[in-house]
Amino acid sequence: MIVEGILKGAVMMSTPLLIGALAEVFVERTGVMNIAIEGIFLIGAWAGFVGAYLTKSIGIGLVSAVLAGFVVGAVYGYFTVYLKQHQIVTGTAFNILSVGLTLYLYRVFFGVPLIPLTVEPLSSMKIPLLSKIPLLGEALFNQNILTYMAFILVVLGYWILYHTRLGLVVRSTGANPEAVDAAGINVERVRYGAVLFSSAMNGLAGAFYSLGFLGLFTENIIGGRGWIAFAICFLGNWNPLGVLVGALVFGLADAVAVSIQTSAFKLIPNEFVIALPYILTIVATIARKHFNVPAYLGTPYVKERR
Amino acid sequence: MKRSKKIALSLFPVYSVFLGLALSGILMLLLDANPFVVYKKMLIFVFRDAYNVADIFAKATPLILTGLAFGFAFRASLFNIGAQGQFYMGCLASVACSLFMGNLPALVLLPLCVVVSGAAGGLWGSLVGYAKARFNANEFLISMMSTYVAIAIMNYLIRGPLIESKGEYPQTDVITQSAWIPQIIPHTRLHWGFVLAVVVAALAYFILWKTTLGFRIRAVGMNRDSARYAGINEKRIFVEVFFISGAFAGLAGFMEVNGIQHMLVQGFNPYLGAEGIGIAILGNAHPLGIIFAAILFGALKVGGNLVVQTSSIPSSIIGIMEGLVMISVIFSYFLKERILVRMEKKMLQAEERKEGPRK
Amino acid sequence: MLRWGRPLPHPFIEQNYFKAVITMPIEREDKAVELIGITKYFPGTVANYKVNLTVKKGEVLALLGENGAGKSTLMKILYGMYLPDEGEIWIDGKKVDIRSPQDALSLGIGMIHQHFTLVPVHTVVENVLLSAFNTPKGKASVSEVAKEIEEIGKKYGLEVDPYAYVNQLTVGMQQRVEILKALYAGARILIMDEPTAVLTPQNTKKLFEFVRDFRKAGNSVVFITHKLNEVMEIADRIVVMRNGMVTGELSRQEASENELARMMVGKELEEITVTNPSEGNLSGEVVLSVRDLKVKSARGHMAVDQLSLDIRAGEIFGIAGVSGNGQEELAEALCGLRSVEGGEVLLEGRNIVGRKVVEIINEGVGYIPADRHREGLVLDMNIEENLILRKFESEKFSAKGVLLQENIHQYAQKAIGEYAIKAPSSKVKVRGLSGGNQQKVVVAREMDIATTVLVAVQPTRGLDLGAIDYVHRTLLRARSEGKAILLISTELSEVLALSDRIGVIYRGRIVKVFNRQDAKVDEIGLAMMGVSNDETQ
Repeated sequence: MIVEGILKGAVMMSTPLLIGALAEVFVERTGVMNIAIEGIFLIGAWAGFVGAYLTKSIGIGLVSAVLAGFVVGAVYGYFTVYLKQHQIVTGTAFNILSVGLTLYLYRVFFGVPLIPLTVEPLSSMKIPLLSKIPLLGEALFNQNILTYMAFILVVLGYWILYHTRLGLVVRSTGANPEAVDAAGINVERVRYGAVLFSSAMNGLAGAFYSLGFLGLFTENIIGGRGWIAFAICFLGNWNPLGVLVGALVFGLADAVAVSIQTSAFKLIPNEFVIALPYILTIVATIARKHFNVPAYLGTPYVKERR
Repeated sequence: MKRSKKIALSLFPVYSVFLGLALSGILMLLLDANPFVVYKKMLIFVFRDAYNVADIFAKATPLILTGLAFGFAFRASLFNIGAQGQFYMGCLASVACSLFMGNLPALVLLPLCVVVSGAAGGLWGSLVGYAKARFNANEFLISMMSTYVAIAIMNYLIRGPLIESKGEYPQTDVITQSAWIPQIIPHTRLHWGFVLAVVVAALAYFILWKTTLGFRIRAVGMNRDSARYAGINEKRIFVEVFFISGAFAGLAGFMEVNGIQHMLVQGFNPYLGAEGIGIAILGNAHPLGIIFAAILFGALKVGGNLVVQTSSIPSSIIGIMEGLVMISVIFSYFLKERILVRMEKKMLQAEERKEGPRK
Repeated sequence: MLRWGRPLPHPFIEQNYFKAVITMPIEREDKAVELIGITKYFPGTVANYKVNLTVKKGEVLALLGENGAGKSTLMKILYGMYLPDEGEIWIDGKKVDIRSPQDALSLGIGMIHQHFTLVPVHTVVENVLLSAFNTPKGKASVSEVAKEIEEIGKKYGLEVDPYAYVNQLTVGMQQRVEILKALYAGARILIMDEPTAVLTPQNTKKLFEFVRDFRKAGNSVVFITHKLNEVMEIADRIVVMRNGMVTGELSRQEASENELARMMVGKELEEITVTNPSEGNLSGEVVLSVRDLKVKSARGHMAVDQLSLDIRAGEIFGIAGVSGNGQEELAEALCGLRSVEGGEVLLEGRNIVGRKVVEIINEGVGYIPADRHREGLVLDMNIEENLILRKFESEKFSAKGVLLQENIHQYAQKAIGEYAIKAPSSKVKVRGLSGGNQQKVVVAREMDIATTVLVAVQPTRGLDLGAIDYVHRTLLRARSEGKAILLISTELSEVLALSDRIGVIYRGRIVKVFNRQDAKVDEIGLAMMGVSNDETQ
């Protein structure tokens, strides 16, 4: 029972990480880092909650989260792709801004409620028969819709990236934008589109925390998990399947940490269990000698004069 | 370039500050507040009494240091995102030193805490630098993750060996009087740490522009190939830069623990690192600019707090102002570069018309 | 039959040129490509000036000339990468407007560049698909493309595994992929820019077989090269360019290597008045001795292959050769910037192979690099800082880690005066200086460092005449101070004007050494092109 619970928790906790990391893979393959990921997660969580609360419909909440991410991405993309400003500097500015902005706009909408506002979080959708499979059944087939979406996204992402013309262009843009330019494709447009898509997805991923899990919105709801999604993209070697493995590993670490904390098993201090994902990232970053980093990641593309 | 044009261009950061504040003002309208009234109130409150003005500098003190942390590394084209963690390590070292060496006289204890906090932050930071030098690891990711590890260590220690005698809350005891940084202006929060921070900024300036180490750092940051051509060992620079940068952030820990809080509470000042990045950007990674930017942010915080206390605007407006100012500054960098390039083009064309093309 | 025409009026070049015109006109239907009056300006230079060029159907046209002659620029205009400032382009008898490589491809023009536009981490098929993305054939499936690649490969002897990853292919195979990209898009006119620069002799043979097959099928090839022997082997017609203009046009039968060399390198060389009046010291002690040096290039092949030379004190040893024959790798190895695979470098008897850059600087070896922006200067530092860039640890400029600002300032003032560096002050960022003054900073610094040896690579690249003259006089002064100077330049005139002895580098070795008095332009030119008198023609 405990193991099943942990597995189910693992898959659930890995969902937003998976969505965020997939989005990051997509955009980094074109050569742009979406450094605003943590901030967009937060904005997605906020927008999702506000939308769901005001309209009493989680569906609208999710849509608003996607839209909010899209809008932020539009500005971030403009600064980094077209104005060619530094991605890390711009992203950090956005991250700082979103903390204040989400709190402020929450206040604008709701004032200071005496009791924290809540919505009914997404309920799990049990898939009949399959969810009865021992051990994995609950974990894989009794989750909320976002989790199922995330799985579909992995498959879809893999197929698009490696088996379609669009995916070819995306992959080529980060590997050698000159080759893409020589083929007559507008590099900036590809990158901007990728930023828009990834930001929209990041918004959705953030909404998982407020709508799919806790049913409320607080300042610390994301708590650095956007950065973990960012790291997973790295560690998964910019490949949807690698990202899937990475997200599950981190989700597992998260779920194990929760269960250790709630149980009496206190061999390792709590704090280090919480820090496990981050330590994992450091170790993996160092250990991995052979990253398939997109060759032109982080470099703005400047066309040669004619 | 004409002198007047040069001055106009160098004032771009100032325009951005105003732009950022203006945009924040628009947001204030959403809460039915009149931004002009709000800003006027802010100015009046801030300068109304010495306590508030002093508080500006008190708040600016740690910001100068975390700003230096990011800015110094930036000069080497390195990204130290882990200032928050290095700050916490400095806090831990300083509070431990203050608690366990509390019986030493202030003249010995305070400098000891300075050294210890700087060393703690520096060593923590140099781990990142070493990872980059040895394994060519991505310092952005590692420095960011190191913050969370530092938080874990801090939380563990605060709840464990360093916990207060009462054992109730996750915080340490109050440190002895001899470990308190004396105030410059009595009955305010402004302590001599501010002066120390300015001195450290001057030191950063001195290192970067007056020493061979700084020469190497800047060369590596501006042109790695030329630096190699000049015989500079860039791997050593990685470690050295991250040590110094981390030491700056660690020193901020001394400032906050011994100067303001006089104890260590779990999870305090959680945005000091990120704000440091913003301040470094605003100050163009130059120690003098960082000092001014830190004072600006300090003013925003103090004024913002006062506004919060006296009106219906929530404290999150402060973060908004900071973020919008930062974004405006980034945009102004783009504009400035565009203008400079256009001017240079015009100059080149004029020159060509005079001399004729060369072959 | 040849007819000599009037020299063309050229506003910026004083020398006279002969223009050979073929009397037999080319029929309209035979013209695949016609370029009329093409002119292209870049800031500070004229890349092409009123160039007329015709490419017949079913012929291989060799476009011959030294580096900087304007051949690549001209072809890039044809391929739509540059827009001409003046002139017209006619394809198949119709006037066309080519504004992008896509336009060129749709007209049947393909180009194989020196630097491939390939995505190394992708397969051959993916690369071909990407390049054809905006064409109707770009919608094909992977298997369809793979099949066609195999077919084209078989037809022309360009077999490549369609599913191989490009970064695992040899350079020769990678070039095949570039060609396949163009053929897949239906190119009937293929422009090849120095294709044999990266090929081994065997691969070159295979490439030529392809070119002949391609021509047999009625297509045309424009073969840009500077290698005379290849031209004689593969070309039907030859057009020679120099300084942005056409200086000669011959058919293969009418051409001889000597004639082509002269057209390429310029008749005016025989009229050069030697700029250094006094004789170099040909009997000084040997200061630098290189023995069987082997250095690998960045791409992995042996760029310097058992090279040996000696340089004496008070002598300028000039290395002449077409770029890409190992000059830069040689210079970098001598200065400690590139690791050495074998051989020795003896500086006053001591082997300096494997020593760190700082140590070599302290041994008194100065290095003026080819690319001052990438290596020689830090553009955002000021003049003072750049002047001490390689010696900031010396006692003159720093004490216990602190820079001695006053000393540095004085030193800079002296250098500015001595080298007539035009700048408002020594605190100005080097980025704002003109190219000539930037180079003066580099020269000033390296002259000071070089107490024994000075290595100068392309020291006058991109400079105006006044700056060139200044640098030359500085090198001569260094010689008179007793330094050993290694001058590496692709400008033959420069090498000839300054050197006491001239070594020709070809494929990583010094193939021939001349004393200045005995040097004959023709011989040197031939040696540069890899033709030696020992070979039977």
